Amino acid sequence: MAEVRLENVVKRYGGFTALPKLDLHVNEGEFLVLLGPSGCGKTTTMRLIAGLEEITEGDLLIGGERVNDKEPKDRDIAMVFQNYGLYPHMSVADNIGYPLKLRGLGKSERMAQVRKVAEKVELGELLDRRPSELSGGQRQRVALARAIVRRPQLFLMDEPLSNLDAKLRVTMRAELKHMHHEMGITTVYVTHDQMEAMTLASRIVVMNKGRIVQLDTPERIYSEPADLFVADFIGSPSMNLIHGQIAGGTFTAEGISLPVSAPDRAKVVLGIRPEDLQISDASTAPIKAPIFALELTGESTLVTLRAGATQLCARGAADFRAKMDDTCGLAPRPGGRIHLFDPESGLRLPS
Amino acid sequence: MKKQLFWWGERALLVFVAVVALFPILWMFLTAFKQPLDAYRVSIFFTPTFNNFKAVFDEPWYLGRMVMNSVIVASVTVMISVPCASLAAYAFSRFRMRGRKFLFFLVLSTQFIPAVVIVLPFFLMFRQLGLLDTRLALIIVNLAIVTPFVIWMIKGFIDAIPVEAEEAAMVDGASRLRVIRDIVLPMAAPGILTSSIFCFILTWNEFLFALIITRREAVTLPVGLVNFRTERGDLWELMSAAGVMITVPIFIMAIIIQKHFTRGMTAGAVK
Ligand SMILES: Nc1ncnc2c1ncn2[C@@H]1O[C@H](COP(=O)(O)OP(=O)(O)O)[C@@H](O)[C@H]1O
Ligand SMILES: [Mg+2]
Repeated sequence: MAEVRLENVVKRYGGFTALPKLDLHVNEGEFLVLLGPSGCGKTTTMRLIAGLEEITEGDLLIGGERVNDKEPKDRDIAMVFQNYGLYPHMSVADNIGYPLKLRGLGKSERMAQVRKVAEKVELGELLDRRPSELSGGQRQRVALARAIVRRPQLFLMDEPLSNLDAKLRVTMRAELKHMHHEMGITTVYVTHDQMEAMTLASRIVVMNKGRIVQLDTPERIYSEPADLFVADFIGSPSMNLIHGQIAGGTFTAEGISLPVSAPDRAKVVLGIRPEDLQISDASTAPIKAPIFALELTGESTLVTLRAGATQLCARGAADFRAKMDDTCGLAPRPGGRIHLFDPESGLRLPS
Repeated sequence: MKKQLFWWGERALLVFVAVVALFPILWMFLTAFKQPLDAYRVSIFFTPTFNNFKAVFDEPWYLGRMVMNSVIVASVTVMISVPCASLAAYAFSRFRMRGRKFLFFLVLSTQFIPAVVIVLPFFLMFRQLGLLDTRLALIIVNLAIVTPFVIWMIKGFIDAIPVEAEEAAMVDGASRLRVIRDIVLPMAAPGILTSSIFCFILTWNEFLFALIITRREAVTLPVGLVNFRTERGDLWELMSAAGVMITVPIFIMAIIIQKHFTRGMTAGAVK
């Protein structure tokens, strides 16, 4: 177990700057999730920590010790690679047991531990196969098993569940969460799936274009997104973002006239989550617009209205019934949050 | 109609090319089993004999010594060249060092020099060193000729191995040498075997340097063949018997390569 610090870390590939300046502190024993769109530098960050890429500038400390120049093998890390990184010429059992073999464990002891881990990731029957004889999901579980077969200082997991089918993903997510609770090993976990991030993380780092946009607990990332990027990225369906103006305590945009407690502003973006909106009487509602789409998800109905150029989504009751193009009214749910952003800088406005 | 004509034309051309290419080999195999009198007849009907194979090992030809020379020179060349080339190829494939491209070009550029141009300097050098007509000289020359080619070939095989497996092993706790032993070598094995056989064949067939550098003691099989052109005329049946002995090992090796060439070792490493 160890804490990890990246201090003013810069990573350049030739002329291309993948990470302009990264400052990150991973607490001991925490489950930190790096979240961001494809190409934002998540894998690069992991590879720097693992020692597979050289750090261009800055310091990397693991457990208080500067490890910039340490070989990967001396960093005591276990990693799940985005594209598995399995050993194609070894059986599944040998793949999983390889880290133990490197540490000089005997064959019988190794096999016992391999079997135990294989059970956990439901690979028990496949131990004699070669990686080429496995499906994508099975390969990913081999990679996962190889990482958890020993107790490293630090886990690095690069989208370890991305190739599993939906059902297994949920099972494995719970398994990972339980495992982290049991072992308590510091974990840095990469995903572009915000649902995975929300459910697993002690803290989430939202990244965009090689920079950290926000670092906070899942609750606060969700309830107080630092800017428009985070607001848009977190949540499904994503937050409604409406361009308009505030005058005399009222936000107005086409088809919308909403009381807010904020100073006047000529240009502002108002954000409200679908679950913070409720369907209300069309004659008195602050938002009135024709229904654009109705989607039943099972536990609720997603109602999308078209107010001028913007579409607004609200989560209604599962038994809500209406006809397309009917005018529908929406109002903020009591206790629901309204977010305001500066459209130029994208930053959240204090409220 | 036109399509069919093309189809037949294509087949006819292929058969023609195959016959032209294979006829000399067939002729050699037949002649090796002929009596001296039959050697000049084109007929494929004759009474076969094994005498030629016996004769070439007897006085005055002593082919046995040349077989030994060829086997030793080719084997030792392979045993030195392939391990060195494998390490060099790994470095060229994986390490992003400065001047890597230029160095690799330098290695390959040795292959562009016509052998005839450098055979004389080699001759002079070995004369100075007192190594003329020794197997050691042949091994040195063949190493110089063959190693760049083997580096290039093995690099191709290593390039095809996904780096991810190596990186995974390093994070799992393996040193660079351990990675090479546990991951790279097993995966590159078919390629390295193929390269070894190529290396062996190149050395086995090498003619020009062996002709210039050897006289009696270190003569190899291809050079030995020339001995069968005597003042009494060309002894085709003996030359063919010797030719068969040169060719058969190569044939066998070619078959081994083919089996390994088609086997995909790296499938399934990454998605
Ligand atoms: N070896 C490399 N050479 C050059 N550019 C790279 C290399 N690896 C990654 N990049 C670039 O760095 C950026 C971040 O990549 P990556 O960390 O893989 O993103 P993510 O994992 O978040 O999808 C991308 O724009 C990618 O093209
Ligand atoms: Mg990635």
